[in-house]
Amino acid sequence: MTGRVIVITSGKGGVGKTTTSANIGTALAKAGQKVILIDTDIGLRNLDLLLGLENRIVYTIVDVVEGRCKLKQALVKDKKNPNLCLLAAAQTRDKSAVNEEQIKTICEELKEENDFILVDCPAGIEQGFQTAVAAATEAIVVTTPEMSAVRDADRIIGLLEAKEEIESYKLLLNRVRPNLIKSNDMMSVDDVVDILSCELIGIIPEDTGVITSTNKGEPIVNDEKSLAGQAYSNVALRITGEEVPFLDLSEPKSPIAKLIAEVKKFFAGLLGKE
Amino acid sequence: MTKGFIEDGFIIDLGNANGTAEIIDELGNILEMAEAKNKQICLKLGAVDLKQSQLLSIKALINAMGSALAFVDTNSELTELSANNLGIIISKLSNEIEVTEDEETGSVEPETEEEVSEEEVFKGELITDKIDLTDEAEQIEEAENDEQKTEEENSVQSKELELEISKLPTLYLRQTLRSGSTISYDGNIVIIGDVHPGSEVIAKGDITIWGVLGGIAHAGARGNDFAKIRALKINAIQLRISGFYARRPDTLNIPFIQKTYEFTPEEARVVNKEIAVYKVNE
Repeated sequence: MTGRVIVITSGKGGVGKTTTSANIGTALAKAGQKVILIDTDIGLRNLDLLLGLENRIVYTIVDVVEGRCKLKQALVKDKKNPNLCLLAAAQTRDKSAVNEEQIKTICEELKEENDFILVDCPAGIEQGFQTAVAAATEAIVVTTPEMSAVRDADRIIGLLEAKEEIESYKLLLNRVRPNLIKSNDMMSVDDVVDILSCELIGIIPEDTGVITSTNKGEPIVNDEKSLAGQAYSNVALRITGEEVPFLDLSEPKSPIAKLIAEVKKFFAGLLGKE
Repeated sequence: MTKGFIEDGFIIDLGNANGTAEIIDELGNILEMAEAKNKQICLKLGAVDLKQSQLLSIKALINAMGSALAFVDTNSELTELSANNLGIIISKLSNEIEVTEDEETGSVEPETEEEVSEEEVFKGELITDKIDLTDEAEQIEEAENDEQKTEEENSVQSKELELEISKLPTLYLRQTLRSGSTISYDGNIVIIGDVHPGSEVIAKGDITIWGVLGGIAHAGARGNDFAKIRALKINAIQLRISGFYARRPDTLNIPFIQKTYEFTPEEARVVNKEIAVYKVNE
């Protein structure tokens, strides 16, 4: 088998690349795929925190690259899912520690025994970004529906388009708030897709559960009641080729919330406002 | 030959031909086209070897068909020697316009599909210094259409500038410029695609965008007030023509401005020392 190397990038910081990487990786592993997650944000590593694997890291990608250990020794198995392994970044170095050739060698080796290699890219367009995309053939561009993030995503897509090795790139819209979209305070999904001219692979709603899950070190896909978790699982299915319709995010999920929504609509109708 | 461009230039690339007979044949076909008449032919010969007599017959053919041989671009020593003996100028084609030969019709059209990334300012550019938009701070205080003339004009010079634009070579791109891309060219620029905010198009001549112009366009960048900027929809962050510049109103600075629900073809030109935007029929 040859694994697929997918880079998860955005340009803008803080839009949810690491959260996306952790959750898609976990979802794919739960579905039976063999997944390696690589954190290339050297010096500011976070992927290990999101997976709750910080305590288990002995060797990092920099140790591999500098020959202090074998690649296999640096792979940390996930707590719950043996299909998922993490190749952590070093916290004590910076992004100059790993270059394009080195990551290509690592990915070549990992491709032989794994189905997916997800590369979590750091923010920016400098060496960190160049290293992260060097071995990838596909990309997921993460953005939020805000002008600054969209502008940066546009830049990143331009850079990806210029790389011949990247055969396809898809858009993942994160932290979407349907009620703000309805009141026209936030760009809609169509607006963003229009501006970026990029195919959509997922829409993840804003979910405060993500904050707790980060702090606990448990990706939100493990929470079956979370809408964001479901959305991430759907993204994983789409990556493997399944056609999954996008979730209807405007529908409130609990019966009480549905009831409240109905009552609100009723009164709004009475008052003539709709 | 000093770097520059040829007025009325016409590039013919015969680098892939085998032998003089094929060259003469193809050349004959090309020169019969109306577009090739009365032009300065820039002949790209690649590695083809031409004896003096062969090169002379090619030159004669060009003359007979109503054009003139401006220079040859050759990698072959023999051809170079022949050209020197005949007094034909040798030069390198310095811009990257690739001449593709259309197999069916035998026509030659300058076309380039260069990918542009942010490092790769298009190699055709000969603009190394931008026109100074002086006293920007002061201008920001003034109304939307500001002006800054940097040189005096008399009517003869302005006539020349007006005509110059149609004689400039044109760069033709079929791609959308994403944020961060820059295209600059010493000629006119035509882009089939959109220009996203964050990208720049800089031209010595006109700029024509067959799409939405959202970024910055600078026409007449070497000081030609008669250059124009056209687009199917002008939503530009800034329009610059020669030394004048105009910015879009602050109230329009919302994200959605990049999208458009309908195209309204418009042209921006300098009128009474200001940049004004006209709908195409005006």
